[in-house]
Amino acid sequence: MARAAGRGAMTMAVSGARAALPRLAAALVLPLVLASLPLLHLAPNRLVTGAPISAAVLGPWLWPLLALAATGPALVASARGRVGAGLGLLACAGGLALLLVGLGTGASELLAGQPPAARARLAAGAWLVGLGLGAGMVFGMRASRLPAPGWLAAVAILALTAGLGAAGRLDALSLTVEFHARRDGLARAILDHLALSGGALILAGLVTGALGVWRRGRGAVDLLVGGVQVVPAVALLGGLVAAASAVLALLPGLRAAGLSALGAGPALIGIAAYLLLPLWRGLQGALRAPDPAALDAARALGLTPRQTLTALRLPLGAGLLIGGLRVAAVQALGLATLAQLVGAGGLGRLVFDGMAQFAPDLILLGALPVIALSLAAESALAALEAAARRRWPA
Amino acid sequence: MKAACRSALAPLLLALALAAASHPAVAGLLAGGGSRPLAVDRLGELAISHLALAGLGFLIVAALGLGLGIAATREAFAPLRAGIDTLAAFAQSLPPVVVVALALPVLGFGGPPTLLALLAYGLMPTLRGTVGALDAVSPEARAAAEAIGLTRRQILTQVELPLAAPGLIETLRTASILSISVAAVGALAGASTLGTPILAGLQNQNVSGLLQGTAATAALAFLGDAMLLAIGGFLTRE
Repeated sequence: MARAAGRGAMTMAVSGARAALPRLAAALVLPLVLASLPLLHLAPNRLVTGAPISAAVLGPWLWPLLALAATGPALVASARGRVGAGLGLLACAGGLALLLVGLGTGASELLAGQPPAARARLAAGAWLVGLGLGAGMVFGMRASRLPAPGWLAAVAILALTAGLGAAGRLDALSLTVEFHARRDGLARAILDHLALSGGALILAGLVTGALGVWRRGRGAVDLLVGGVQVVPAVALLGGLVAAASAVLALLPGLRAAGLSALGAGPALIGIAAYLLLPLWRGLQGALRAPDPAALDAARALGLTPRQTLTALRLPLGAGLLIGGLRVAAVQALGLATLAQLVGAGGLGRLVFDGMAQFAPDLILLGALPVIALSLAAESALAALEAAARRRWPA
Repeated sequence: MKAACRSALAPLLLALALAAASHPAVAGLLAGGGSRPLAVDRLGELAISHLALAGLGFLIVAALGLGLGIAATREAFAPLRAGIDTLAAFAQSLPPVVVVALALPVLGFGGPPTLLALLAYGLMPTLRGTVGALDAVSPEARAAAEAIGLTRRQILTQVELPLAAPGLIETLRTASILSISVAAVGALAGASTLGTPILAGLQNQNVSGLLQGTAATAALAFLGDAMLLAIGGFLTRE
């Protein structure tokens, strides 16, 4: 009896230790990163990496940040109810605010007395701790059962960054300096990027729809849209430019009419060519979604082919169709970055300018919106896909 | 066997045609007068370094993707499955150009940022494809293997992998195409690949160089595809 009780206590202790381990790990990761990796790089100009700066740069903000970076993730990892998760979420958000304020203040102190070309650039430690706290916010919101935790966290982080930026607290960071230098160009680039990817998506959708009507050529279309995927994007864009310039050389009148071998035209066609495969697969899957018995039943009820399409095939295939659209949209946003290769503009322009100048902050300025747009498209369409599958279960 | 050859024949012929189109004489003819085609030697050099980079990337991605995919389908790792899908969706949202660009200041010019981009972009589809192919093996086959007393390792090597072979080959085809494609993007990071004449051609309006790089890259991609199709046909000939 006593031995059994002892064994019970021991297994409890063991399972307690096992449960404590993730909590301990969650509490230790971010403080360890803060202690070991540089938060900033102080560089004499915007093109060199510069000297690493440790977490001491945060000054008075360091200790509260360490406390929040330890307790927030630990609370989120161990939360059983909504209260604990909510507290962890608040700790993570507070930690992120402290990190940003501390980095901004520390950077402006570092730069005081330096020549104007000197830059304080965010380093690996700052990115990792920021990402960790952001992830803590998402998981905290999920554990608190808030709706759409990813979106809510993204909005909260954006609002926090924008608020601090508008208050001038982040002005000393090199990314902010680059942003101020390129502000108008950035807005324009985002709009161009959306226009390019949206235009290519619409073009590819129209072509897919037209091909879908052509029943007999299904095998040929399968081969064609699959074959396009094999050609690397850089090569396809290059080939389109070569083809367009050959056409323009044959018909000089077109060049006089304002057409050019470079620019948005070949970019749109090139991007759209890659989107055909996911859209085509989505469409074919959607058309095949209802089982033959259901189709027979529809015919027996006297539904016309059009009614079968709108009442049966499209609702049952909506999930697959939106799934194809989701893959295509994410690919379009990524490929639109390459469109700058043929001079089509968009966010690729900032990325390519940054690579040409070897200016990391300019690359980031172009790359961060691309990543944000892709993730937003992915999660929005994934939510839509899930909703469609719930609404019309197969 | 015959069917295997037949499915590989179309991409093989396409690869040969594209390779012929990348020859300086043909490309010069196609691009018209006044163009400056690359010499065969230079093109061969670029093709070999392109193949080396893409091949290394493909081997890493295939080994890691297949290995992790097999691990993820073992019972012990079942709880990780949902995480893999989320991670795969996230990784696919990062375009290779962006990864190359972001890795450039950290890893420097040349091969390393390209390999990183390849890993970031190719690993998750390969992993997900492997998991999908192994999942498609019918539970009855697995149960039968267990019933006749095969060990777990034997079930994997003698039942699951052979039955999943078509799906696995399909996954590797995707990985090989991604490798060749990302290696071309690597020219942006200064890696010397077949993307180099494409970029130079776009900048200097050198249409024949552009055409040669394009045709040769596509030829390599189709060649790799044909090879994997033939291997797949050979493995699943019964």
